[in-house]
Amino acid sequence: MSMIKIEKVSRNYKTGETVVKALKEVSLEVDAGEFLSIAGPSGSGKTTLLNLIGCIDGIDSGEIYINDQPISGMDKTQKTTFRRNNLGFIFQTYNLIPVLSAYENVSFVLSLLDIPADEIKRRTYEVLKEVGLEGMENRRPAKLSGGQQQRIAIARALVKNPQIILADEPTANLDSKTGEEILKLMKKMNEKHGTTFIFSTHDKMVMEYASRLVLLHDGSIVSDERRQ
Amino acid sequence: MKFILQLAMKNLSRYKRRTIITSVAIAFGLMMFIIVDSILRGAQVESVRNLRWYETASLRIYDSNYWEEHYFLPLESSIKQPDKVMDIVKAEGLTATERTTFAADMILYSKDFGEDGNMSVKITAIDPSTDFDVYRYPDTLIDGRFLEPGENDGIVIGSWFAEDIGAKVGYWVTFITQGNGGFYEAFDMQIVGIVNCPNPNVNRTLIMMDKSAADSYLGMDGAVTSIDIVLDEKANLNQSAADLQAKLDQAGLSNLQVLTWRDLAQDYIAMVEAKQGGSSMILFLVFIIAAVGVSNTMLMAMYERMRELGMMRAMGMRDRDILFSFLFEAGGIGMIGATVGIALGCLVNIYLVNSGINVGFMFRDMDIGFRIQSIMRGAWSLPTILKAFFSGILLSMVVALFPIRRALKLDIPTCLHHQ
Repeated sequence: MSMIKIEKVSRNYKTGETVVKALKEVSLEVDAGEFLSIAGPSGSGKTTLLNLIGCIDGIDSGEIYINDQPISGMDKTQKTTFRRNNLGFIFQTYNLIPVLSAYENVSFVLSLLDIPADEIKRRTYEVLKEVGLEGMENRRPAKLSGGQQQRIAIARALVKNPQIILADEPTANLDSKTGEEILKLMKKMNEKHGTTFIFSTHDKMVMEYASRLVLLHDGSIVSDERRQ
Repeated sequence: MKFILQLAMKNLSRYKRRTIITSVAIAFGLMMFIIVDSILRGAQVESVRNLRWYETASLRIYDSNYWEEHYFLPLESSIKQPDKVMDIVKAEGLTATERTTFAADMILYSKDFGEDGNMSVKITAIDPSTDFDVYRYPDTLIDGRFLEPGENDGIVIGSWFAEDIGAKVGYWVTFITQGNGGFYEAFDMQIVGIVNCPNPNVNRTLIMMDKSAADSYLGMDGAVTSIDIVLDEKANLNQSAADLQAKLDQAGLSNLQVLTWRDLAQDYIAMVEAKQGGSSMILFLVFIIAAVGVSNTMLMAMYERMRELGMMRAMGMRDRDILFSFLFEAGGIGMIGATVGIALGCLVNIYLVNSGINVGFMFRDMDIGFRIQSIMRGAWSLPTILKAFFSGILLSMVVALFPIRRALKLDIPTCLHHQ
């Protein structure tokens, strides 16, 4: 049974009079625990596909099922609740809150859930240790390197133990060495927690780390390759 | 909620300069509001006191026809049986005095004043044995002496009036007037005293003479134009007036009417209401400052934090919580501005309440309606301070609502990819 089932999903964007077909009847199934890379050139529809899976954008036609639950039927509030409980996000530009410390940037995700304060504290320290930021809990993002900031973002995505983590070009703002470290960390977390990772990239090195590589071109899947 | 508050407070320190500039604008506006309100309030308190002490007393009894034509000071519409009325008033435990006010032409002579001249004046004839129980002139005498009961040819005048006509104690003037019934009468009077009354309206025009002399010159046959009554400051004005009116009606004196100082000082009441509108205008200006400043600050904050906003929404933070976070932040700016504004306003107000501003140079030649001669003092008002504080916060939050709602209407991908 697939965790994510995408059935003939299309998404169009209107720019003035022009309609851009970002995704054209894309179908894909993702199993739990996969470390899947969606690759392709700019404008191929990678981010759009991630946004649709992440319930932050609307489907024009087709359907996406997550754990057999169709997401197009959800209203805005249901989608917000779904994201809060089940999804983690990692962004290319980290999107950390600069006035909060590393600890606060991670723990705020748990504060959105009904979790006791001592549990929030325990889990936050634990996940920060896991991503290699032990001792840097009180530092603000501006005092950390790009790689360290992305580690906070990974910790933030992981801390609530989501079923799926969606990462949009997570290494694009990092140098190759740091990018590789981040990928290794993501892979380690994927193996340790069994969390499904879906990340977009156009970097060949990043693709190498994926256990499954889906290639998109002009809004259509052109290849779907599973690796050992 | 704890996180939302924490985030809002931390974001306040994020753009320190912007927060300070916006807060200072709000603080300045609220400080001005407190100062202006304090001065107006102080001026009102002092004006009311000076009205009641020197101009209108607390209550006044007139013949019903008199009030309708009071601008003409009609002697024929006077109180014919003042003794009976005084008995009723005294029976009520009130302190009162009889007065007759009439119009006259005053002739000045070159012998005393340097040149001949004449002018229209209003003369108030008082009963020196009872008038000072109702009015507070004894403390205001700056030259000469007060009138003595039964004094036929003495007048006391206001110091500004004396300055304007160049009068001194001992100078003689002649009054020509129409007595009760229309006959003409002329009488010579000597200035025996000059008073410096805190009520500028009185100080500018006051001429007082003895009532019994006026009775004789005007042919009043014991009638007076008004009976003026003093009440305790805390007495219920309208209730006292109504009770007294009822007693007069019972005694068959329904031709008389009891007026409160508010009825008598309608010009002042109208002016105060207009000035209260001015005070509200200042609060409105504060609102504009807050609206422009806070709205702009929050709009800029919104655009600068658009990707964070997208991230928080993607992470499952409710729009309502994000809205509250930004509202609390705006409220925080308002609170800083309000606190600083109130602190500065109160500091200035300490000086205003204790020392006041000398505006004698302005009020000497200009009548702005307040019954204040020179020092305008402030007055404390806790409701005003609370109003300033909460309106500063509330207005900041209200005006922040629009840019926040606008940003929250954008979809999450747009927020996340905002440049």
